[in-house]
Amino acid sequence: MLGLRRWRRPWLGVLAAIALMLPLVVSKPFAIDIFIRVLLFAFIGVAWNLMGGYAKQLSLGHAAYFGLGAYTSTILQIRFGISPWIGMFAGGMVAMAASLPIGAVCFRLRGPYFAISTIATAQVLMLLFLKFRDFAWGAEGTTLPNLGNAPLMMQFDAKAAYYYIALALLAIGLAITYRIERSRMGYYLMALGEDEDAAEAIGVNVLRIKRQVYLISAFLTALAGTFYVQYIYFIDPNTAFSFNVSVEAALVSIVGGIGTLWGPVVGTVLLEATSALLQSWLGSSHGGVQLTVYSLILIAVILWRPSGLLGVLTEAYGRIAYAGPSREREGPLDG
Amino acid sequence: MLATVAQAIVNGLLIGGIYALVSIGVTLIFGVVKIVNFAQGEFVMIGMYISFFLATRFGIDPLASLAVSMPVLFVVGILLQHFLIRRVLALGDMPQIFLTFALSLLLINVALLLFTANYRTVQTPYTEMAIHLGPLYVAVGKLIAFVVAMVLSAVLWVFLHATDLGKAMRAAAQNRDVAMLMGINPDRVFCVAVGVALALAGAAGSLLMPFYPAYPLVGQVFVLMAFVAVVLGTLGNVTGALIASLMMGVAESLGIQFVGADSGLIVVFLMLLLTLAFRPSGLFGGWTR
Repeated sequence: MLGLRRWRRPWLGVLAAIALMLPLVVSKPFAIDIFIRVLLFAFIGVAWNLMGGYAKQLSLGHAAYFGLGAYTSTILQIRFGISPWIGMFAGGMVAMAASLPIGAVCFRLRGPYFAISTIATAQVLMLLFLKFRDFAWGAEGTTLPNLGNAPLMMQFDAKAAYYYIALALLAIGLAITYRIERSRMGYYLMALGEDEDAAEAIGVNVLRIKRQVYLISAFLTALAGTFYVQYIYFIDPNTAFSFNVSVEAALVSIVGGIGTLWGPVVGTVLLEATSALLQSWLGSSHGGVQLTVYSLILIAVILWRPSGLLGVLTEAYGRIAYAGPSREREGPLDG
Repeated sequence: MLATVAQAIVNGLLIGGIYALVSIGVTLIFGVVKIVNFAQGEFVMIGMYISFFLATRFGIDPLASLAVSMPVLFVVGILLQHFLIRRVLALGDMPQIFLTFALSLLLINVALLLFTANYRTVQTPYTEMAIHLGPLYVAVGKLIAFVVAMVLSAVLWVFLHATDLGKAMRAAAQNRDVAMLMGINPDRVFCVAVGVALALAGAAGSLLMPFYPAYPLVGQVFVLMAFVAVVLGTLGNVTGALIASLMMGVAESLGIQFVGADSGLIVVFLMLLLTLAFRPSGLFGGWTR
């Protein structure tokens, strides 16, 4: 899925091989669980990054699409017996449809107020789903029927299966980002991200580009939502529209490297590894430790490395591989 | 029916006074420093915990602890501006938004670690007291909070319009470069603006304490309201934020009364989205400060 013919970079092959072999080597459910979380949040980060990183539309409401994806597939499955594989795409469509009116309102605002208005939309959706008692189970939520090993209904005995689905999602997300980065749209996005007024002045239809990238970003985020409820077998408005999803989507991208292909992946690996270490070190009894550490990392990155940690890695890689001066923006990872 | 509506409006106005303190702070920082302080609600939370601990450890009335919470948060504001916000002013949107956002996350979670998620309340002689005005029922704690909030807003207005520092602040808000040319030291003005904004948040916290529980996430309730009020009241417009806060208090209260107990926020968010759709520059767009 990553475009096999284009593999001129050996490290990408190594990475893919490691990613594919990982569940065969590591079989502890605890570890697989962490890997799945990493892949899932990296994928959500990749989806967010299209919008927040390339176009610099800093959304803090991606939970809206995560939740819509989760609810669409669950409602289709439980009420109509439709497979979540279909529900997943239906969820993506619903999210795309929702992104149009939400975008129409929120795109009127810039910068911080865009962020705030996206928070508001996710909150409104959560409050609405809390009210839909007959149709969507209200605040109590519902558990998904356990069908045993039913691949057609996206249910598996083996955790590794979920791992491979999450890996596939991430690969799709990265492939789409890679394509967009190199397309006309990608250049429009970057122009828009650099300076919205200037982009408009030179003839970029700013509103249309924002709308298009929001559609893609919403679609991908909704896929993650479906996957997540299928994985945890439970849905309620607080899980599906959790503010933490919106936050983590932005956080992993910013920490890793905002507006870069691999930034969200690097950010997620770092943050989830930190969180897993903290948990094994302190036990899970200390509420607040994880986000305290996340926010400290975020503050540190903003003050000292606003372009993210990917830059640090590429510079180090550049020094090792080429023993020459490092390149600033176009590191070897995407050059 | 009429009495119910009137009662809802009174309740809304009273809580709207508190929203006003928070949103005036947000709009002041936005107007002068051009930063949206996502952590403003967390400073309300800190104000509440200051009053809570002064009340439970030393028996100090929450209203008296205004004399502690406001100066403490004023100093915190100066430090915040000097050590953190100042460093991202020259950077783009992302660092400017996510610095205060990260700070908000940090303060919430540190509070969670230090104080746990438990609700903390303070009982005062006036917590349960109420005045009956005909069919209306006015809780004394909320009334005091409202009156003090309005007095503080008035003091701020006088400060902004009648003192040199206040005028310098408005000048810096209107045009930073020209203000600098006129000999205004922007660093000093910014520090005072953030300090004043945080002091107002601290005041809101202390005023809330007699009738509202303190918990780590409490600031989120107020900051969301404040953001909506600031957009409704036109960004950077202090008077607009005050009027919009009172309107939102009323809208929320009517929403709770007529739509359902958990619908106050829906009404408020819908107000925000409708405003953005039809009047994105806020209700007071044409007004000058």
